[in-house]
Order: sequence, then structure tokens, then C-alpha cells
Amino acid sequence: MAAPPPPSTPAAQADDLLKRPLYAFDIPRELLKSLVVKGSGQDIAPTSEALESKEDEKLEELSKEPDPTSGMSCTLCGVKSKTVQEQRLHARSDVHRFNMKRKIRKQPPVSEMEFEKMIEALDESISGSESSSTEDEQSSDPLATLLRKKATLKAAEEVEEEDSPRKPRTPIIWMSSPMLPESTYVGVYRAILPDSTEESEVTQILPTLQTQTTSALPTASDPHIFLCMIGGGHFAAMIVSLIPKVVKRSGVVEREAVVLAHKTFHRYTTRRKQGGSQSANDNSKGTAHSAGSSLRRYNEAALTADIRELLGNWREMLDSSSLLFIRATGTSNRKTLFGGDNPVIRSTDKRIRGFPFTTRRATQSELMRCFVEVTRLKVSKIDETIITAPTPTASSATAPKAPVAKAKPSKEEALKLLHTTTLNTLLRRSKAPAIITYLNSNKLPFTYHLTPTNHHTPTLLHLAASQSHPTIVLALLTKALDGNKEPADPTAKNSAGKTAYDLAGDRATREVFRVARQELGEDRFDWELLGVGSPISRKEYDEAAEHEKMAKDAEEKERREKETARLKSMPDTSGSSSTAGKGGRGLAEVLGTNAATNAREEETKGLSEEAKRRLERERRARAAEERMKRLAGK
Amino acid sequence: MAVRAQFENSNEVGVFATLTNSYALVAIGGSENFYSVFEAELADVIPVVHTTIAGTRIIGRLTAGNRKGLLLPTSTTDQELQHLRNSLPDGVKIQRIEERLSALGNVICCNDHVALVHPDIERETEELIADVLGVEVFRQTIAENVLTGSYCALSNQGGIVHPQTSIKDQDELSSLLQVPLVAGSVNRGSAVVGAGMVVNDWMAVTGLDTTATELSVVESVFRLGEGQAPSNVNTSLKDSLVESFY
Repeated sequence: MAAPPPPSTPAAQADDLLKRPLYAFDIPRELLKSLVVKGSGQDIAPTSEALESKEDEKLEELSKEPDPTSGMSCTLCGVKSKTVQEQRLHARSDVHRFNMKRKIRKQPPVSEMEFEKMIEALDESISGSESSSTEDEQSSDPLATLLRKKATLKAAEEVEEEDSPRKPRTPIIWMSSPMLPESTYVGVYRAILPDSTEESEVTQILPTLQTQTTSALPTASDPHIFLCMIGGGHFAAMIVSLIPKVVKRSGVVEREAVVLAHKTFHRYTTRRKQGGSQSANDNSKGTAHSAGSSLRRYNEAALTADIRELLGNWREMLDSSSLLFIRATGTSNRKTLFGGDNPVIRSTDKRIRGFPFTTRRATQSELMRCFVEVTRLKVSKIDETIITAPTPTASSATAPKAPVAKAKPSKEEALKLLHTTTLNTLLRRSKAPAIITYLNSNKLPFTYHLTPTNHHTPTLLHLAASQSHPTIVLALLTKALDGNKEPADPTAKNSAGKTAYDLAGDRATREVFRVARQELGEDRFDWELLGVGSPISRKEYDEAAEHEKMAKDAEEKERREKETARLKSMPDTSGSSSTAGKGGRGLAEVLGTNAATNAREEETKGLSEEAKRRLERERRARAAEERMKRLAGK
Repeated sequence: MAVRAQFENSNEVGVFATLTNSYALVAIGGSENFYSVFEAELADVIPVVHTTIAGTRIIGRLTAGNRKGLLLPTSTTDQELQHLRNSLPDGVKIQRIEERLSALGNVICCNDHVALVHPDIERETEELIADVLGVEVFRQTIAENVLTGSYCALSNQGGIVHPQTSIKDQDELSSLLQVPLVAGSVNRGSAVVGAGMVVNDWMAVTGLDTTATELSVVESVFRLGEGQAPSNVNTSLKDSLVESFY
């Protein structure tokens, strides 16, 4: 069992104090006396004095207050009237009504003068306000507006007041002490302090909680706390004495937590793979009828019965416990603990605490860990100076970084970029001689690597091959020989391990590699490895290219002839079709002139000028014929 | 004359009836006994109208009226309004009021000259009250309660207010209303005197549970018995009053 060991000798140095874990219920006396809540000033005393003095004033006011015996006065506003008429007038005045409403809101009444001032202030604000929605109301009933305004002001005040003391309610209250090293703080869990303990009161309350370490065996009558956890069919409960047992182990005095009673249960209640308890599932989806569900239902009931019986047996010890640490999430778990006919623990019990940290499965060892965690003083080293002054250092650190990131590329870089851009442009236009000239004039190697590095086409040769510029590829590979320069390296690989030959987009480009093989010679590169085909001479290549070109040209010529022949035959067919339809009524005639022109356009679409003209002539002839016929008919 | 009555086992007579100097409204569905209490005293003098308001029987809490007029909440149906117009004397103005605080009997307490109303009542309503009922309207609270109609029973002769009203407040209200007031209870200690009884200038009806002492206080402050005056409260009944009120 882990145990908080005792402090070393009273004359221990500051560092020694923290060498061993500190036990919250047995803090060394010197340290205890010197503890000061972190961040607390000495501003508590004056406020309380101020409060007292205020109360005194109030009392005086009350005693001074005139006792209006006459009925013709208004105790609410403190106004005395001489006649009933006056009193009635007052009772119907705005100030009286305002005070009436203030009284209902438990606010002190205002005098007539104050009220006038408020109304004046209100007028100003009305003139300044732009909101049209409320303006009508404001003009009709200034009193209502005033009340509304005061109400919002008051609400705002209240919110502020409520907020300030309730700032962050941290689970741990940190304290400092002159006995501790610089910027070291000890913290105590709020949970072990009595309910509603303010942060400022900790140093007064902690001494009252201290216990006396004895070598005698602790009993149930000593102060003790109860810890229990329920969850997922697991239950663990433990009653631990706050007075630790002192044991000597290999010469070192150690403290051991004394467990007065403990018990754990486990029942199979949670649904395997689905998760959640059986009862939760029953409640949401209706009762399931599987064997497992009934098993779990039985186990849930049994677990509840077990737990209640155990708690019943522990009733005396529980009643005398100073604190009850309970982890029971979910209604069913809480019902198990707090439900039943005669519950041992009530959910409204002031001693109940939750564990202010994450807990694991309900086991005895976990309970022990939680006990140690919650009763041990936390120690933290925080350098306030670093926390308070981080901003300037941060800004200074970031300041020099920014220009580095924005640093302009060096001259070389810029030059390389320029070269790459130019070469790219030339390459796109397939200007092989220009590229060679450019490379030569700028004294660039033929194995030029593009900048910025491109993964697919790292070299100029790769780029030319991939974009299928056979002339450039050939130039890069062979033209170097003229200038006694190193030719472009066909073995260079890109990041994917591909050579320029692999990237070549068409047959012509691949052919030029064969030409290069012939011209550069077999020894220059391992052509076989590159996969380049058998070498061919430039002449052969040119011939092949020529042949190919001729074939292509012939093909093109044939195609053109075919096309013209087709077009030449078109007008005749269209003309015959028109004459064929002449006997009846042409579609164009039926649809009207507009449709006719459309149809005509449709017909001439895609025809050559000559064909169009012929078509037009044909059409006019037909029209003339028609006219003649009509005249003859008359 | 002060009498006791019960409406269907309820002592809160003021909930189920409205009584003024020129008419009386009673809820439908009560026993004949309840009606006969009213009719025995009033039948020859003023009309006793059986009605519902918005289909409910809590007419005493929903309406407010005096000799000159009657105020009804907006929830009153047209049929009910027509029925009341037909039944009430011609001199009585009847007005339906659009007011958020629709239980007019709870927020208005009036006699023929003055009315004490809830402080939050709307300005238009206040004007209507003054016009229809012909009264001076005062926004007041009674013993810190805003429901003036519930905690005050008022006639032209006097009034009973919430038992915990301070002497100072009583004096002030009394001066404002120009009628004598006492702090008292009805129905065996109920503080809601407005809802527990109805009163006009010559009769009061309280719940059946009202004790003799309470009834005698009622009779004296409203001057219902023979030769009774509010001053008598301070003499013969003083001891019992002191005991029951404070």
C-alpha cells in the first residue's frame, strides 16, 4: 500500500521538506504556520471592517428614521402631506409609482430630487439613442423606460458582482510559504476541505484538520473517510483512517494508510460490444428477451442488493466519516447508492465529494491511489517571472525569423530561374537551334538541370523527351559533339527512376534516341540498358522520316480529294431532292419564309463557296420557272 | 348583514362571485344553497346574474366592478358579454379590457370612489378603470403583495386588508381610501381576504369556515350589524383581534 511518509526532522531545509510527499492531514507545523494562499493579499480584513461600518450606519439611519404616525404620509417615499388631496396627488405621482416598483424589486426608494435627475439623464439618452423600436414606448412612458433601464443596469451590476468572487473555482488551492524554495507552491484539493470553504480561509482551516500520528493501531473512532466507486458492474468501497500508521522499514520511518474496511464486488452487467448497462438499454429500447439480457438484469439487481447490504453493515462508520468520496455516474449507479427504502447515504449529504481527477476502473488499488492522490499535497514549481514576461521574448524570437522566410533568392538562383524559364519557352516552341545557341552562349552544360527541381523531368532532356520534341532531343544528344561539350546524359533518371527515353511520348522521339546511339557510339552509354532500339544512322532516320512524311502527305491528299468529290456531288443531290418535292408543298413553303431561309442556310452549311453559288443559281432558276408557270396558268 | 356560504365545498366565495351595490354575479353550477344566500338578501334590490367568464366559474377573480361599471377580461366571450349586458341595469357600463394581467379581480380592488390596483398594470387599463368605474386609481401594494384585489376586501363603509399589513401601511391606505381599514382574515385564518369574501354596502358573504370572531370583525368594519361601528373593534374585540392578527 502506498503511504505518505512522515516529514523528516523539524530542522529540515526547504528542499528537504519537499523530498517526501506531504500528507494534507499531517503537514509539518512550521510549514503549516507559514502557508499563505497564492495570489491573496491582505485585503480581507479591511473589507470586513468596511462592512461592519456600513452596517452601523444603516442601524443609525434606522434609529434616526422619523416614525410617521400620521396616515397622511408616504412611508415609501418619505413624503409628508398636509391634506388628503396632497397625499392622493403624491400617490398618483411618477416618483411614488417608481418607488413602488423599486420596492417590489427590493431596491431602496429614491427621493424626488434623485428621480428628477434620473429622468433628465434618461431624456439625454433618449435623444442620443437611435433605436426606433423602443422610441415610441419611451416617449409615451418615460417611467417604464426608466424602470427598464434601471433594471438592466441592476442586472448588469449583479452579474458583475456574482462573477468576481466566483472567478475560477479550481480544484486545487495553491499556497506558498517562505519555508519553501523560491517559486514553489504546495496545493491542497478543495475536496478535502469543508463545504463552501473560500480560498482565503484555507490557511485557517488546514490546521484544524491536522491529525496526530500515533504508533498505536488506529480504530474506527479515529477520523476517517469513505471512498467508493461504481461503474460497469464494478464496485469498490473503502474506509480509510486519516491517521496513518507509522512503520519502520529498513531504518526509514514510513507512514502507511490504515484501511479500516474495504470491499469490492463485480457482477456482469454491461452489454458486451454494445456497451452501456442492461437497464439503460431496457429503458431506451424496451426489454430485450435474450438470455444475456436476463442474466445482466439479474446481476444488476444482485449488485444493488450487495452494495446496499454492505453499506448497511457499514452504516456506523459511514455516519462518522468526515468525508464521502463517491464516483457514481449515471442515474442507475446513483440510485444504487442513494436509493432504497432506508438509504445509508443521502445524495444531499454535505460530506459527499467527487474525485477531482480522472479515475480508472473501480478496484481496491485504484481507491488507494485516489486516497493518496487526494490527501497528498501537490507541489508545483512555477516561475512567475517567466509567465508574466513571455510576450517580449516571444516577439523578439519571431522578429528575425520573418525576414529569413521572405529572403530573396540569391543571384545564382535568380539566374538559374531565368535560364530555366527561357529554355522552357524555347522548348515549347520546338526551337532546337535556339536552345543549343542559348546553352552555348550562356556556357550551360547540356546536362542542364532545371530549377526549381522538377521531379518528373529533372533535366532538359527529360523535358524535351516527355513533350515529344525529337529535334531538341537529338540536338541535346548530338550537337554537343560539335562544341566538344558533354552531351546530355540519357542515363539520368528522375525521382521515379525513369530515363528520358522512358518518358518519350511518341515514336519519333524514340527514333532519335536510336540516331543518337549511332552517332554517340555504343561505348558512350549503356544503350541496351536504357532500352533504346538498334542504332540507325541519321540518313536512315531522315529517310524514314521523309518516307513517313510522304505517306502522311499522300494520305492527306487522298482525304482532301475525297472530300472535294463529296462536296461536288452534294449540290446535285440537294437540287434533285428539291425538285422532287416541288410537286407537293415543300416544308419551307409550309413553314413560311423565315423557315425557308433557315432551311436554305441549313442546306448551304459546310459547302464551299462555289457549291453555294451553284445552289443559289439553281434556286433562282426554280423560282423563275414557278413564276412563269403561274403566269401561264392565268 | 354578514353571512356564510360555500360554493361546492369551497370557502373562497370571492372566487365564485362578484358583489357590488348595483348587481351581483354568481358562477353557474353551484348548489341552490349558494344562490339562495345571495338571492334571499338581494333578489328584490339588485339583479343576481348567473354567468361564466371565458367559460370558467372563477368569475370573482376575473372580473372587477362597482356600482357604476363592470370590467371583464379579454377572454370573455361575446355571448357572455351579451348576456351580462342584457342582465345588468342600464346604468352599469360594461367594458372588456385588453390587459396582460387578465385576472382583474386579483389586480383591482375597488369601491364606488377609489381603486387600488397592481403597480404593473398598463396605463391604458388604469385610464379605463377610472373611466368605467368612475374611481380614482392608485397603484399600491398591500403588505408587500402586488395583488391588491386578492388581499383587500373593500366597500364604501370600510375595508379588510391582509392580516400582516403594518399599522403604518393601514393608516396610509385608510387615508388614501378615506374609509376605515382593519387587518384581518377570513375563512379560519386565510390571508386572502379579497378572494375569501364578497362585500357591498349592506351585505357580506364569507366562507363557511369563517369563525365568529372573523365574522364580527367583518360586520363591524363594513358596518353591517345594527349599531356596529369600526371603533367597536378597538374595544370589545380588541383582545381576540390582537391574538389572531399578530
